[in-house]
Amino acid sequence: MSSVAEPVVEVEHFRMAFGAKTVIEDLGFEIGRGETFGFLGSNGSGKTTTIRALLGITEPTAGRLWIDGRPFRPQASGRLGYLPEERGLYRKESVVDTMVYFGRLKGMTASAARSWSLAYLERVGIPELARTRLDKLSGGQQQKVQLGVTVMNEPELLILDEPTKGFDPVNRRLLMGIVEEQRRAGATVMMVTHQMEEVERLCDRILLLKDGVARAYGSVAEVQEAFGGTTIRFRHDGTLPSPATIPGLEGVRLIADRDGEAEIAPPPGTDPAAVLAALVGAGVRVSAFAPVRRSLDSIFVEIYGEHAGEGE
Amino acid sequence: MAGNLRTVVSFEVGRTLSKPRFWIVTLLIPVMIGAVFGLSAWSSASTASSADQQASARFPFEYQDASGIIVPSIASAAGGVAQSDAAQGLADVQAGKVDAFIQYPANPSTETVTIAAKDIGLFGNGRYDAVAAALLTASAKQGISDPTLAAIASGDVTTQTTAYDGAQESRGFAAAIPPLLYLVLFYLVLVLLYQQMLAATLEEKENRVTEMILTTITARSLVAGKIISLFVVGIVQMLVFATPIAVAYAFFRDQLSLPALDLSTLVFDPGKMIIGALVLVGGFALFTGSLVAVGALMPSVKDAGPISAVFMVAMFVPLYTLTMIISDPGAPIIGIFTFFPWTAPVTVLARNALSSLDLLSAVIVIVELYLVAAVVLWLAVRFFQYGAVEYGRKLDPRVILRSMRSRRTTAA
Repeated sequence: MSSVAEPVVEVEHFRMAFGAKTVIEDLGFEIGRGETFGFLGSNGSGKTTTIRALLGITEPTAGRLWIDGRPFRPQASGRLGYLPEERGLYRKESVVDTMVYFGRLKGMTASAARSWSLAYLERVGIPELARTRLDKLSGGQQQKVQLGVTVMNEPELLILDEPTKGFDPVNRRLLMGIVEEQRRAGATVMMVTHQMEEVERLCDRILLLKDGVARAYGSVAEVQEAFGGTTIRFRHDGTLPSPATIPGLEGVRLIADRDGEAEIAPPPGTDPAAVLAALVGAGVRVSAFAPVRRSLDSIFVEIYGEHAGEGE
Repeated sequence: MAGNLRTVVSFEVGRTLSKPRFWIVTLLIPVMIGAVFGLSAWSSASTASSADQQASARFPFEYQDASGIIVPSIASAAGGVAQSDAAQGLADVQAGKVDAFIQYPANPSTETVTIAAKDIGLFGNGRYDAVAAALLTASAKQGISDPTLAAIASGDVTTQTTAYDGAQESRGFAAAIPPLLYLVLFYLVLVLLYQQMLAATLEEKENRVTEMILTTITARSLVAGKIISLFVVGIVQMLVFATPIAVAYAFFRDQLSLPALDLSTLVFDPGKMIIGALVLVGGFALFTGSLVAVGALMPSVKDAGPISAVFMVAMFVPLYTLTMIISDPGAPIIGIFTFFPWTAPVTVLARNALSSLDLLSAVIVIVELYLVAAVVLWLAVRFFQYGAVEYGRKLDPRVILRSMRSRRTTAA
């Protein structure tokens, strides 16, 4: 297990079973204060189950799930901003009444919650809708309100379960901007997402969960290293022989080869110049050649397969 | 904890009271009660007046008197002419010469008076019975020389009963009315809040708010807050019902012809009032918990409706035994309804008011109500917590209870 200096989230030996079916098996990880943590996995791998158990919404079968050194208890724990995967609001109430209600439940005074809400609505461009019932708002407008409710009261810990799911591009940008802001303000962020470019851009560390078991855990660089670290992309003419048959390229794995664009994964510590020399020596006509860090996207596909994320 | 409970109560109460629909429905009740009372009073007055008119109606008729009781002068004053031939009497009616032919038998106290009459409609035909009976009564009174006996014979008698409970004078209905108000309150509050109780936790599930809300407040506090807010809304509704009635009684009694009730004659027996209050609160808690639990198991109000109807039936069934509660409170069915938790509130509130409930039974029922209500409320919270993330699915309570047991075992 990777350990962090000042853990905000601690999960140890977490197990969750529904009847005879075990969906999480001996899961453990930590999230340090101020860290942005990517909690990744295909649909049905157990991410939402873990978050719900961490937040006390469901009871774990076994294990320890702590926030700030103790099991999560509403009000007794620190400030939390939670955007669940299944999300909604009181549809028959007005925007501002709903936001004030959540603000007060999060510990704000009614007047502070009202001021904050009005300022937020101004910021996201819907100040005129403050008194409008939520069911009269468009989907995108409701998403903005949802997001506002999540980040009310300056959360110390933000847990976002597929935050961009169902968001239109405008709101997605808004969301990511707000997440960036919260990070800069020192908030700890735990984020479930399938957007690997967001993970590479935002996350300090990640955990990849598959069938309830952690398949990779560590910093983004550590995980990339563990799954082949650096890959080499090159352009070639004609047919590319299997790298394993090329002298000097034993142990090199072919990741992709399409329309003259190929990607190979050499063993850790391999000198890219030696790879190029071996290719040329084997008669491969190389017109472009570049070592690149392995993308999380390709690691995700390797672990979960091409059809990950297409339903439970 | 207390702060968030207050927040939930103020939010729930505020949003209920701010809806025009709430005020329309709440104000409609006293208006409807007033309308029903008005119609009923008008209808009674109209019926009595119609009966009097029928009895004193004058129309041409013939009569045959085998009893010898009918006084010819009285019959004549009513439009009657003696007819000795029954066949001719019937023929005269059929020919339209007279409106009716009345045959008085030899002994009208044991035999039937028969009337052949012209049809003047379902209600109009009543005048023939009324005149035949009035003629007989007036003639009979004429035969009694003593005016006192004549008055007694016509049923003009006033009685006054004083009942004793031991050595103490019993106050009858004056003592029954105040505790009976608890029963009225129980019905009004539950009928009006039934839908809200059922939907108390369903709204969060249907709108997918549960997960967010449960990270700010515990399921227990949320459910408690909702139940308290239902109670507050119930009290507001009671006040709204009472206000127009009190205003009408205080300022418009004469215009509305309301009876002048002497409220000072009402007897507030402290024992009955305390028992009634405890049963009312316990019953309210039990029914609220039961309906919230059903709501927590179901994905929508529509799905919860049929199951919750069972509780409404349990609430109304004891009403059908009300006469038995008065006449035979020891009947086995009354015993069952008294101690079965969901029929107990109505049965016990009625028995308490009608003085057919002993103290021991009252204590047993009150303890039972509070215990069962506590268990049901606890289950409601557990069901809500377990069903919080089961969007769009019905939950099986057995699966939840099994799951709770297995977690306890694992934890041990």
